[in-house]
Amino acid sequence: MSNSLYADPRLSKYNPLKRILFFDDFDEGVNGWCTLIGNYNDSLDDIKPMFRDLRPAQLSNCTFFDIGTHGSVSGEYALKLATRPRPNHSCVLIKRMTFAKRSLVQLETYFTYKAEAVFDDKLKGSLPFDGNYHPSEAMFGDFTLGNDINEGPDGKRYFCSLRYVNTDPEGNYVRKWFYKTSVQVTTKMQIDGAPIPKDLHAQSPDDWKEVPGGDFALCHNEVPTKINWHYLRWQFDLETRRNVELQINDRVMDLRDIPVPAYEETYYSCDRLLNFFFDVRTHLPVRNFLFFDSVLVSVDW
Amino acid sequence: MLRRSHTATIEQNESYTENFDTEPYECGWASEATWFVRVINLAEGTSMKFIPQISPDGLFWCDKEGTEPVHISEETLYACELNNFGSWLRLRCVLDGNNPRIKLMVHLALKE
Repeated sequence: MSNSLYADPRLSKYNPLKRILFFDDFDEGVNGWCTLIGNYNDSLDDIKPMFRDLRPAQLSNCTFFDIGTHGSVSGEYALKLATRPRPNHSCVLIKRMTFAKRSLVQLETYFTYKAEAVFDDKLKGSLPFDGNYHPSEAMFGDFTLGNDINEGPDGKRYFCSLRYVNTDPEGNYVRKWFYKTSVQVTTKMQIDGAPIPKDLHAQSPDDWKEVPGGDFALCHNEVPTKINWHYLRWQFDLETRRNVELQINDRVMDLRDIPVPAYEETYYSCDRLLNFFFDVRTHLPVRNFLFFDSVLVSVDW
Repeated sequence: MLRRSHTATIEQNESYTENFDTEPYECGWASEATWFVRVINLAEGTSMKFIPQISPDGLFWCDKEGTEPVHISEETLYACELNNFGSWLRLRCVLDGNNPRIKLMVHLALKE
């Protein structure tokens, strides 16, 4: 793409590959970002733990109790993910596509994140408010972005998942990006006897390794009601079955040598599957939020 | 342009044995809303009423003035329509009976 992008201010903040597959401006609606739900047969009771109650999409104008409405980067509304106020609870939204060629795929977005403002002294963190540092910063757990790729009966299924860990479950700051080293436990694996996972995206919560160059803090901005938007660009390659790069503002992480675990099982009924997901997780009885101004996915097919 | 609409599943096959509030749902873009509460299981002797609440910020809530509580006494679908509301909605749900238990689906159907 070239100078023609500058004709549209909504697109000029992005750097897409040659074909825009979709551009989701959340002033226009949820654009297909819906609640993830686990597989089941006759009854919703059959849904496995961790894959239920993953919360609905919200269209938010980013309103807070103290100042009122923030608005999004452009226009009024952002896509909002909100957890329940329950430890290890996640909100996961997914957009379901298929792919027309095994090629590069790139997701770009402007996002921001927050823990909900709380007024309960029992929930205050170990560090006191000092005018710059605010305890709510340590009340945000982590967020994950990823895909679900299934080439079909003649190919592989795999997920590229990348997680930004702000705090660990004990509330300690981590502030690093991670990639996973095991596959997500599917419904089929659980029916075949796999134990119930404690991590929605991996077989064990320990199955994550640090992304080289991924050790940095995001812009929290001091209090739970000021939001600052971050540019994110994530590229992966359907041909090599690998991540390529993750960029947060000016920081670019080379992911080409990072392994991506693939399933041993063959999955039917999801031929050429190309799903994208966002996940936010809280470690405390405090709602955690993730906001997206817009999402642009481009490809080189 | 067609009017935008959106249905959010607020409670997905959840069971409750005591009073509860549904999670805050932000929907300032909508001008009309219908709450649908589908009762999947209702323990013998259990009843429930739900009261729509509004909030400017998702933190501080009051009952929606002029809207009557809806009383649940059987396993069926109940609805409650709203308009002229603030940007956030939830239901205040009050259970009654000995060892009350209810399993339900709650949908919020919104229109621009």
